[in-house]
Amino acid sequence: MSNPQQPRLTPLPEWEEEAEAMLDGVEYDTDLGVRMARDAIRVSNGELTDAEFHEKYHEQVMEEFGKDERPTKPEGFDDD
Amino acid sequence: MTNYGLVIDQERCIGCHACAISCKQENNVPMGQFWNRVLTEGGDKMDTPSGGYPTDGGNGSLDMQYQPTACQHCENAPCVKVCPVNATYTRDDGIVEIDYEKCIGCRYCMAACPYNARVFNWDEPEHMPEEGTGDVPARPQGVVEKCTFCSHRVDEGLDPACVVNCPADARIFGDLDDEASTVSKYINQYETHQLLEDRGTKPKTYYISGEMSPGRPQTSDKLESELDDVQVWSDGTDDVPADSGSGGSAGSSTGGIHSVDDDAVGDAVPHVPAVDAGGDD
Repeated sequence: MSNPQQPRLTPLPEWEEEAEAMLDGVEYDTDLGVRMARDAIRVSNGELTDAEFHEKYHEQVMEEFGKDERPTKPEGFDDD
Repeated sequence: MTNYGLVIDQERCIGCHACAISCKQENNVPMGQFWNRVLTEGGDKMDTPSGGYPTDGGNGSLDMQYQPTACQHCENAPCVKVCPVNATYTRDDGIVEIDYEKCIGCRYCMAACPYNARVFNWDEPEHMPEEGTGDVPARPQGVVEKCTFCSHRVDEGLDPACVVNCPADARIFGDLDDEASTVSKYINQYETHQLLEDRGTKPKTYYISGEMSPGRPQTSDKLESELDDVQVWSDGTDDVPADSGSGGSAGSSTGGIHSVDDDAVGDAVPHVPAVDAGGDD
């Protein structure tokens, strides 16, 4: 992914294909990465709140990484 | 509070890649990777235009423009939200940075970045010369890297290397929250746009197109606060006056956050009229 001529600013419909390519070969869950990346952009867009985003993926992140240190954690969120 | 941002004048950018190379040099970026890129808008490959030559005395459709890109240091950065170990974080001054000690190489941040601003160390980083370059230690294999706005330089009151080494004076760096800063004045004066504004990421890199901003003389390594009395332009044009300061020529590597006076910006004569900025002929 380090080709300096790679056109970025990719139209959204083509983005998921690129995201999957980036995550190809990663030892972590590719599908989780794509879904979280998609929703992280939705959070930036204001379509999803930080809290909703955090809660939606907390269990899967804990399962995959053994910890969840995302800054989206809402105040008072129960980690257990 | 300080909130750093960058303005890139696309009418001034000549596509020389000095920003990309100086970034590699300053930040010890491994071979095969770029934190800072100059994309070509036009043809399929670097420095190739779209369209064709004029034929039969008519107007041709040749068109080529440059799109410099790097980390946009988004205020609302998806990469920060998605990092499971908080390795990607936003500094108090707005610079988005990566803690390479924490990064586990999951690359979720790469997938979440709409600007493709991040690179991953697939292999053992290779440097030329082997001992590396610049003032930043090499990153270990297996981490994600990206532009830091040269935070190590910014911490010492200097501009990023790409800004200092741009021979076309197309880059301006400074505090977006300071209305008197040069970046703020340019953003207020010119019509700017941000990349992928519809994504809501609030990038802190602004692009000027359609009207060329005036050139700024390099002004040595003085801090912005020391430049309050510096007169950058004397005649209201975008020509750099002969007695404009110690740095003088473009391409100086002396750094310094630049100052600009309001009148000079307001009276500047654009080299490229907005209507004809596309270069279609």
